[in-house]
Amino acid sequence: MTATVPIRLTVNGRLRALPVAAHHTLLDVLRDDLGLTGTKECCLVGECGACTVLLNGRSVDSCLVLAAEADGGTVLTVEGLAAGGRLSALQQAFLDTGAAQCGFCIPGQLVAAHALLAITPHPVRAEVEEGLAGNLCRCAGYEQIIEAVLRAAAGQAAEGGAGRRAHARPDPAATPDAEVAPQ
Amino acid sequence: MRPFSYERPTSLGDAFGLLDAHGTAASPLAGGTDLIIRLRDGTVRAEVVVDLKAIDERDEGIHLQDGRLVIGGWTVMTDIAADPRIRRDFTALAEAAAVVGSAQIRNRATLAGNICNASPAADTAPALLVYGAEVIATGSGGTRRIAIDDFFIGPGRTALAPGELVTAIELPLPRGRQGAVHLRRTRRRGHDLASVTLACAVLDDGRARLAYGSVGPRPLLVTDDSGVLVDGSASSEARDLVLDHLLAGASPSLRSMRASPAYRLAMLRVLALRAVEIAAGRAVGGAIA
Amino acid sequence: MTGIVGGSPARSGGRDRVTGHQAYVADIHLEDTLHVKLVTVPCARARILGIDAEEALRVPGVRLVFTAADLPQPVPRFGPQLRDRPVLATGETKYHGDPVAAVAAETLDAAEAGAAAVRVAYEELPAVTSIAAALDPAAPLVQDPPLRPGDALAGRNVLREHRYGWGDLAAAEAEADLVVEGTYTFPMVTQFAIEPHAFMAAPDGDGIAIWSSIQHPNWLQRVIASLLDLPLARVRVFAPDPGGAFGGKQHAKYEPLLAFMARRVGRPVRLVLTLEETFQAVRRGASEVRVRSGFRRDGTLVFRDIDANYLIGAYADIADRTVAKGSYTSAGPYRVPAVRIVARSVLSHTVPSTAFRGFGNPQQIWAGESNMDEAARTLGLDPLDLRLRNLAAPGEAFIPGDTPADGRWAESVQLAARLIDWQTPAAPGRGRGIAVGLKEGPTTGLSYSIVRLLADGSVIVYAGTSDMGQGARTIFAQIAAQELGAPVEAVTIVMGDTAVVPYDQQTSASRSSVLMGNAVLLACRDIQGKLRAMAARLERVDESAVVVDQGTVTIGDREWPIGEVLARGLGRLGGEVIGVGEMRKEALPEHPLGGTAAFYEFNCTAVEVEVDRDTGDIVIARHVTVSDVGKALNPMQVRGQDQGAAIMGLGHTLMEHYILDDAGRIRNLGAIDYRIPTSMDLPLAMESATIENGDGPGPYGSKGMSEGALLPIAPAVAAAVRDATGVVIRELPLSPETVWRALHPAADQEDQPEAVVR
Repeated sequence: MTATVPIRLTVNGRLRALPVAAHHTLLDVLRDDLGLTGTKECCLVGECGACTVLLNGRSVDSCLVLAAEADGGTVLTVEGLAAGGRLSALQQAFLDTGAAQCGFCIPGQLVAAHALLAITPHPVRAEVEEGLAGNLCRCAGYEQIIEAVLRAAAGQAAEGGAGRRAHARPDPAATPDAEVAPQ
Repeated sequence: MRPFSYERPTSLGDAFGLLDAHGTAASPLAGGTDLIIRLRDGTVRAEVVVDLKAIDERDEGIHLQDGRLVIGGWTVMTDIAADPRIRRDFTALAEAAAVVGSAQIRNRATLAGNICNASPAADTAPALLVYGAEVIATGSGGTRRIAIDDFFIGPGRTALAPGELVTAIELPLPRGRQGAVHLRRTRRRGHDLASVTLACAVLDDGRARLAYGSVGPRPLLVTDDSGVLVDGSASSEARDLVLDHLLAGASPSLRSMRASPAYRLAMLRVLALRAVEIAAGRAVGGAIA
Repeated sequence: MTGIVGGSPARSGGRDRVTGHQAYVADIHLEDTLHVKLVTVPCARARILGIDAEEALRVPGVRLVFTAADLPQPVPRFGPQLRDRPVLATGETKYHGDPVAAVAAETLDAAEAGAAAVRVAYEELPAVTSIAAALDPAAPLVQDPPLRPGDALAGRNVLREHRYGWGDLAAAEAEADLVVEGTYTFPMVTQFAIEPHAFMAAPDGDGIAIWSSIQHPNWLQRVIASLLDLPLARVRVFAPDPGGAFGGKQHAKYEPLLAFMARRVGRPVRLVLTLEETFQAVRRGASEVRVRSGFRRDGTLVFRDIDANYLIGAYADIADRTVAKGSYTSAGPYRVPAVRIVARSVLSHTVPSTAFRGFGNPQQIWAGESNMDEAARTLGLDPLDLRLRNLAAPGEAFIPGDTPADGRWAESVQLAARLIDWQTPAAPGRGRGIAVGLKEGPTTGLSYSIVRLLADGSVIVYAGTSDMGQGARTIFAQIAAQELGAPVEAVTIVMGDTAVVPYDQQTSASRSSVLMGNAVLLACRDIQGKLRAMAARLERVDESAVVVDQGTVTIGDREWPIGEVLARGLGRLGGEVIGVGEMRKEALPEHPLGGTAAFYEFNCTAVEVEVDRDTGDIVIARHVTVSDVGKALNPMQVRGQDQGAAIMGLGHTLMEHYILDDAGRIRNLGAIDYRIPTSMDLPLAMESATIENGDGPGPYGSKGMSEGALLPIAPAVAAAVRDATGVVIRELPLSPETVWRALHPAADQEDQPEAVVR
């Protein structure tokens, strides 16, 4: 008999309460129990990032999180990025640069990028490359995705920034070891 | 995944109760970035998964105490890599934490989990070794300290007793100037499991501490007290002799998919020389460690 | 107006992709579905002694354990080239991952538990998993000879041997001042689309409905109809946009199995592969190619003599076609007086290889272009000049009996050279390489399109192409928008339902812009003809006096937008104007490939690299790719495809390969140990450009594209590595360890052979 765990979590701003199988992941529950199929399943080992969601403000591979672990937590999926039917600046940027080709990696890319910009609102290109390294894409060669993130960041600069500051991160330029980079 | 039941104790006492009651049938769950994969592929079979993340006494942060930097047993890689004190005083650890998987992995993976998993290729192990870390292990019987060099026993095996949890990892603050670096060999620039990991700390008296992993069943710590490695005027023959001795403990796997033994050994030398140079440079240049 | 051809309007389907609403097969749920898991044995080859389903059937929720015994006997077989693949393994499994049973259950958990409980008694058998092993006269046969009746090769593991050529090789050999020879190997690699293959089958009245991530819905429809003995009209294939395919989703894999299972249980059944299972389902052919080229001292090619063995898998799939087509053009886009090409498909107990972007060409181009680079070095000539000297001129019949060179290819080469500053020496420590790639487009084809111009001027286009990311929907929307004067946002493209969308032969060979694009264009022209008649009637003039061009109807010096004529012309009953377009390229049975090339894809790639001599790491400092596309119908999509192809090519160049153990099992299944490029593995600077001379057969002078930019990457990078370090490497991938070994040859003498890792 499968052990079930009752959980309550806020998904895309909406409180959901449901019993979940103890061994089902957050990815399973989002897709199969909550009907949020925007988040995708691919590698199931935390390499490809197709399953990326925000959990309590941090980007995670939802295939490596048990649904039960999310009890009491807050989840943001790709379906939660558009507010009231209006695309976010990031989503619009992805459209404008043609970042989505087959589109399968895009939900994960968007959520990972959303998390990146919340921490680093004005990333340099290398920071975007590193921030998205956990999101594999086989179609696009990443270029237009990176451009979209930089474009959204530049746009955000004009508006004063969007998204929550989920995690304070020291400015890399201020830390002493910025002067001596590893070779 | 084979089904299991899930417990989420809110106190250390309750957690130990569960672990003691279920023994090897229970798996403690921290970040899940290793455990969930193993539950899925069947290399770990659990009847009960004990989620540690609701334990009231949990330490998820980083703080100074009595001349030591205390990293909580629940502290994740992202926070370790970003912490200014670790970046300044334990640079090799910050660099290692920054390359454990992707951002998504680092947001979940704990330092404690990384060392408990005890992969020979664990990225943080060499840094912890050169910094002389101590593992605080707590069980229903109490708390004890385990020197990090005694903690790693073999692939997937540590000195933890059944029912014990790593509740903190402590790093003695450096006395005097030191420079350190973490280097690794991977198959691509994007995140990867390392085929060689290496950390080097150079003290201001010219002594060097080197730790390396993924070239044997457990990561190894070696020390060069001669000062030859760091000495700019030493001959390359003299340096090679010292290196031969320091790296003699390396015994890379014959069956690894990631790299052959010859390549690993050669890269170990290359990384060791590079690491010494970088660490020595950091020891003298500026206020960095 | 945005959306006209040559602009870059937002991708059709783009909004759904960025909101998470794009429905891939795995996102579609049907009522009452049973979940399926496959059962395999951990061997490259095994005799199946017995399958005990008793324990599996006792797992709560398991409804069916399906084996070959549950199929019609003899077990039905299918395959696009040879009907060799059984719907389920029977008697013997022939590759690691060949399923012997399938479990259907109420939940995925129950199916997994059921699959784990199926007891298969098997005997591991010796397997051949390399070219040498497969060609050994004592090797076990992969294919049962009765499957190849009348085939002289049936007693060997060579499925087919292809011979192409022209000219007098012996005479040419005498003329050559220099002969350069080398053997080059290309590894097994897999498509690794981010969407794993997904399939569903459901009874549909007395017929069947199939959902699949398939690239060729009509082809699949034919296969299912034949296997289930149903009329085509009773087989409905739904083909949602695949999440990446790259050729690995062209042909039927587990749809036949699911169709039989659905029929058996009377309910929908669903199978979504794990990523590991996709590695065991599809891959590219590996190869060993020996190239021998003769040159005059000034670099003029006088002959090319190519002998190639491709390691294909246990079943033919479309692999032999990749060998034929890839080898047929292996002499390259050059003027070569004498050519001899021999290419063999060699069967093995490995994952059946199939189509994969480039379709047999990358393997040959790796060899042929590396050989050109070695020749340049040996002759003391600039590799760029060597290409320009020998490149076929536009209109030249460089392959006798086939389509002449259809582009000013030298322009692509010269542009690539200019963009990478070829004439300026590279910075110290860096090396440069250049290579060209040629691929034939489709040799036959048939696409139908129906276009409906609705009463308000908006448009629905039916096109059976599969949009797997290349942006076909958008192209067709642009064409219809341009021809019918509608805003591109008012054009809806309907794809992926064989009950609703007319026939399209397939989505492959970069054909869709040309073939389906022309079909859409012709359908629009059909509508324009009907609008001419309508306008003539309304204005009481002769039809010949009416011009309908794109969005405007003109009679003399009067003109109206189409919408206005439509509104008046449809009158009180309303209605719509329907156009039908058909684009066909007929087969030529006597042609070696069954037809001439509709067009060629041509690309020139130049790279600049830095090599870390101590570690073997290669950093691509600059990557320039130039494709000859005729007309970029949507420049943003062209750039996205070319850059994507470049990064995919860097994958097999630098890091991708299957690792097999001694028994032929795949060791590196899954994403942890099969490495593909991440966003941190990009060239430091990449530039893509196109040559557009309007000289293609597609709409507005376009050609097909999106495979070209992958073709010459490996030889370009290897040439750059050679330029930087002096070492010549003839195997892929150029992993750090491989490069290091080439740079430090003494170091590997202590190793056991099995410890060497590529």
